[in-house]
Amino acid sequence: MPYLPTPQAYLEQSALLLQAYPDAVRAIHESDESGCKPTSTKYLMIIPRITTKYTFPASKPKTQKATTQPQPESQTTAPPTEEKPRIATLTLKTFHAGSGICLKYRTNKGAEVGRLITSLGKLAAGADVEALGLGGAGAVPAGAGAGDAEMVDAPPSLIPAGAGEGGNEGPGKGGKGKKKGGKGRR
Amino acid sequence: MPAAHAHLNHEEFFTSLTTLLSTTSQKARGSVYLTQKPLIDPQQQDQQIPAILIRATDGNTSAANPKNTIDKKGISKNKNTNKVKLSTVVNPDELEAFYARYAEVCKAGMTGLKKRDRKKKNAKGKAGGKVPKL
Repeated sequence: MPYLPTPQAYLEQSALLLQAYPDAVRAIHESDESGCKPTSTKYLMIIPRITTKYTFPASKPKTQKATTQPQPESQTTAPPTEEKPRIATLTLKTFHAGSGICLKYRTNKGAEVGRLITSLGKLAAGADVEALGLGGAGAVPAGAGAGDAEMVDAPPSLIPAGAGEGGNEGPGKGGKGKKKGGKGRR
Repeated sequence: MPAAHAHLNHEEFFTSLTTLLSTTSQKARGSVYLTQKPLIDPQQQDQQIPAILIRATDGNTSAANPKNTIDKKGISKNKNTNKVKLSTVVNPDELEAFYARYAEVCKAGMTGLKKRDRKKKNAKGKAGGKVPKL
């Protein structure tokens, strides 16, 4: 399962995914055996869904160690106090059941939460890559640091093409194909 | 417990979500799942921007654990299944205000994540500067 390196990359790809599949509902007409008389219509919901998971790592069985090593007289065994505060992780996942496309981003930085949720709101409102304001805003990716090099490549190829209405689907598919490669079709 | 699928209004949703996040953070275990997806009525496909369905859950299940929940009488027991499941619907015109608040609640509630560390960041910056020299 692929994780995208930066929040910008994740949000961009998610925006493209949401744009690429606006046909959220697919009607399935069920016919009787002869095939000429539709008996019922089912609606298959194939909407991209975004899940944000805030989770703590599973606890390790430290108590077992304590019991297997009998040190009755020494008081040095104080694992509860030595325990580091467990750091939670935040995993964002955009999943499109229709195509099986799954985009993920994982972070443990508390500073990114507000920005990410706000961006998810923009995605929910149907924002495209440009409206997310990721390409131009230099201040936004400052916290991400590591992924800057890649971001330089991504926006120029995606934004100009996405500007035209007719070209919307093309760059969406192209962009995804380039980035995903082996993701969609495992 | 209220009906499982009743949508809360925003006020109730945020109150419950704050509680859910803070209890999870305090315990430092468990998860909170937040999902969002367009709420589309198959009968009315005309609407341009659909309402958004927001869900929050702690990931527990209310289904019986098949391994240990059936007693001698064959009645399944659900002792430790207090699943938390919240949902609310956001209309398109409320999206901006909702998400502003949503972001605040999440920021305030997800205290288990790493805090911003100025010192560390500076050290990294210096290290990054040294690398090209070498």
